[in-house]
Amino acid sequence: MVSGGQQDALITQMRRGTLQYCVLALLAEEQRYGFDLVRALAEADGMVTSEGTIYPLLSRLRRDGLVESTWQESPSGPPRRYYRLTESGRAALEGFKREWDRFRDAVDHFVERKAR
Amino acid sequence: MTTTADQLVDDYLKRLRKELAGLPRERRRELEQEISEHIAEARATLSAQNEAEVRTLLDRIGDPADIAAEARERFGVAPRKTGAVEIGALVLLPIGGVVLPVIGWIVGVILLWASQAWTTRDKLIGTLVLPGGMLVPFGLGFIADSGGACVESSGGANTCSGGTGPLGIAAIIVLFLLPLASAVYLAMRMRRGRAVLAT
Repeated sequence: MVSGGQQDALITQMRRGTLQYCVLALLAEEQRYGFDLVRALAEADGMVTSEGTIYPLLSRLRRDGLVESTWQESPSGPPRRYYRLTESGRAALEGFKREWDRFRDAVDHFVERKAR
Repeated sequence: MTTTADQLVDDYLKRLRKELAGLPRERRRELEQEISEHIAEARATLSAQNEAEVRTLLDRIGDPADIAAEARERFGVAPRKTGAVEIGALVLLPIGGVVLPVIGWIVGVILLWASQAWTTRDKLIGTLVLPGGMLVPFGLGFIADSGGACVESSGGANTCSGGTGPLGIAAIIVLFLLPLASAVYLAMRMRRGRAVLAT
């Protein structure tokens, strides 16, 4: 049987694997700047344990060319770094959506079965 | 005038910098800046700037060690481990130069700089205080010892002349203590490896 600790590790893994696609999905709607993006992610229950850890993720997404950033003047304070999806990012998101739909349906098929 | 809230933020950012050492400099600077700005912006949304609110805010952002661990994983940097390299450096820096003159100390320096457990500033301190470790005071003590001549006078009392006076002895003692203090400093500043989340 999967122990409590193993289950925690599993869920942590699932979150880590999917979190970047949640970021990409948020950016597909509109370009956002760091603080705003991080807070939006933190709103979904359980997705983010530590807001600060989003920043390394964003950095990595930039390096991988899935998102790009531009600096824009802000009305209140220093310039802000706005993130938006690149073409690769869009493609990656589309690919993930397909896989996720399949995966989610498959798991639900078993987990959501009504007792007969 | 700095408030408690400012102090909390300051301490947090200091801890973050410490945890991030070992990452590529660009990544580190960028992260520090982004988190600093995030904190500033979050504080601006707070209704009150009191200590409790700021603590909650910093909790939301997360433990600096977690952020650093995440950064390491995302950038493929090996997790820090306190290991042979660090112990080797801590031992060889003070006494390596004595055991194996000069070379022993140089190996200690190489280990120091190869390690990810210290910031550049700490590494500089470890190298410059004291170059050669205890080899220098050791050598000086040797010279001082053989520099004097003791003469037995007719009254049976020994008079020693030449050699090093008390000031010189004091200086040598200080030079002995410096590498020791440096090693202790490094040991305290050493970042211990964190258990990496099972991947």
